[in-house]
Amino acid sequence: MNLVRAEVERLAARRFVQLMVLLLAVAFAVTTATTLIGSHRPTASEMSAAQEQAAQAVAVLEAEHTRCLRVRAGEIPITEDAGYVPADCAEVDPARMERLPLATDYLTSVFIFSQEARGLLYFLIAFLVLFGFLVGASYIGADLNSGGVVNLLLWRPGRLTVLGTKLGTLVGVVAALAVLASALYLGTFWTIGQTAGVPGPLDGQFWGGLGAIYGRGLVLVLLSTALGFGIATLGRHTSAALGAVAAYAVVWEMGGRLVLQILDVARADLLMLSNYLGAWLSGRLEFWDDRGCPPGSGVCDGGVYAITWGPALLVLLALTGAVTGSAFVAFRRRDLV
Amino acid sequence: MSAVIEIAGLRKTFRTIRRGRRVAVDGFDMVVEAGQVHGFLGPNGSGKTTTLRALLGLVNADAGELRVLGAPAPEQLGRVTGRVGAIVESPQFFGNFTGHRTLRLLAVAGGVPPSRVDEVLDQVGLRERGEDRVRSYSLGMKQRLAVASALLKNPELLILDEPANGLDPAGIREMRDLMRTLAGSGVTVLVSSHILAEIQLICDHVTIIARGRRVAAGRVDDVLAGHDPHEWRVRVAESERGAGLLREAGLTVAVHPDDVLVVGGAPEPELISSTLGGQGLWVRELTPVRPDLESVFLDLTAGATPPGQPDGTDAGDADEPLVELDRTDGRRVDA
Repeated sequence: MNLVRAEVERLAARRFVQLMVLLLAVAFAVTTATTLIGSHRPTASEMSAAQEQAAQAVAVLEAEHTRCLRVRAGEIPITEDAGYVPADCAEVDPARMERLPLATDYLTSVFIFSQEARGLLYFLIAFLVLFGFLVGASYIGADLNSGGVVNLLLWRPGRLTVLGTKLGTLVGVVAALAVLASALYLGTFWTIGQTAGVPGPLDGQFWGGLGAIYGRGLVLVLLSTALGFGIATLGRHTSAALGAVAAYAVVWEMGGRLVLQILDVARADLLMLSNYLGAWLSGRLEFWDDRGCPPGSGVCDGGVYAITWGPALLVLLALTGAVTGSAFVAFRRRDLV
Repeated sequence: MSAVIEIAGLRKTFRTIRRGRRVAVDGFDMVVEAGQVHGFLGPNGSGKTTTLRALLGLVNADAGELRVLGAPAPEQLGRVTGRVGAIVESPQFFGNFTGHRTLRLLAVAGGVPPSRVDEVLDQVGLRERGEDRVRSYSLGMKQRLAVASALLKNPELLILDEPANGLDPAGIREMRDLMRTLAGSGVTVLVSSHILAEIQLICDHVTIIARGRRVAAGRVDDVLAGHDPHEWRVRVAESERGAGLLREAGLTVAVHPDDVLVVGGAPEPELISSTLGGQGLWVRELTPVRPDLESVFLDLTAGATPPGQPDGTDAGDADEPLVELDRTDGRRVDA
């Protein structure tokens, strides 16, 4: 427990951590300020105009559906200027649409929380992923490089205990910070929506979707933190983590992708880590490969393949587990000279 | 007295891609008894720091047995860590932490009462600068901070690797006084240093390592006595004539520029004084030539290069006559 306390204090006292928290606060302040400046609470007349436009848009959709049904029933002949009439009218059935036009779609210069929340959350997650990786790498990298770990081992000679406590403390602190920052961030924009904009429809489906993104984002933040820590431990330096990521991005994600395209490798997207990252965050990523289609048939359903969140999580966990596990094994055996 | 540090047959080889295999410590033995201020000497690259790091569990030994306060190291080091204070080489600290904070974090991690921080800062003369950032400290102050960190635990055994590094003469003197005070209070001190005069002043026992092997060990006086050249420094009015008379008496004589004769082969000084006095030459000075630790060290480690260097020395080689002293009484033994 004493070791955890000391590590928390060391982490909080690190300049780099303080700088990153400051950057987060600045980014947060800038986003909040620009949102506040660019938004206003809609007047009653703006609201009623928007509601009218939304109602008209819904009416147009319903008319299109009705016309389609009548065309398919043979009640109306298909003329050249009739436009697109789907074979299955269910495609244009407003009742089956994911969402119908809303009044909030027709408001300008108004911050609508329900529409913006996902984008804002993705931005926060991206920042926290970067934060976790950099802080994780620099926390152990600087300690290994400066002799801080050796100093600590003279007090607590259990290597795995020391490294494990460092990782546990780091992940715990980053998780707490991420939860706190997210709550503050979303809470602030929710308040802006309530007071200087429009909250939009905040039903269970909305909160469920946002919660899922938040949960997946939080897992990603913690994995990137552990990954940064693990690579820096293996490389004995902060820059090892940064170099490894840069090298991976340039060599494999860019160079490797190009080579795989030239070699025409089947389902090459399955070999790119970035796709698993995207699939985990979005829940599902779809790709297309014409090998799945009969020769000469062009686009077909058989060419579509996907990465879903389950396999994506497994890949991310396996990678992080392998790196951090190797870091612990290496640190246990390593001569600290 | 009981042994607080026991090293037997320590062997460590480093392997790197660039430099290949390098034997750092090769069957090294050392014993430090409770209450000793024990000097650990050796040329650069002789294996001092590797030995200390192995003792503290920072380097994995290839072979050998190590015990600290009776606990096998590194397996059971955790059992006695609270009683051992150590600094290894020049420890680095975070520049933006204050000295006080640096020590307090270590105290928290080690379960030491925070009140100890002010005490040890006082002990090493850093109390006034405790709230300054470490970045603003001189090299000597950082070294003192390192010693303070080792003292935090109020240790029974203090292991200091080159504690005088970066210290000015006044700092070296303070460090010497500090070690004496600690030794006086019953703390066993193992100190490695290349400032041999300091070791001679501070330490009562010494172990000398060269090429990863022990070449001498025992009480400092015994080690020096083992290298006593049995020579006498003689000053007479007519040095040339005196030298001739002494040579005729079967003694070896070297005439130094300032008319000082260094006479060898006389077991007792009476032989010299009677030989010269009998011929009417009165002796103005007759003093024994005492070896100092530096000359003994240089003698024992002459030509010692770091192990693994291309000098033919390697594991199992016995190309160097070893001079060892018995662990218990410091007498010369065959090696």
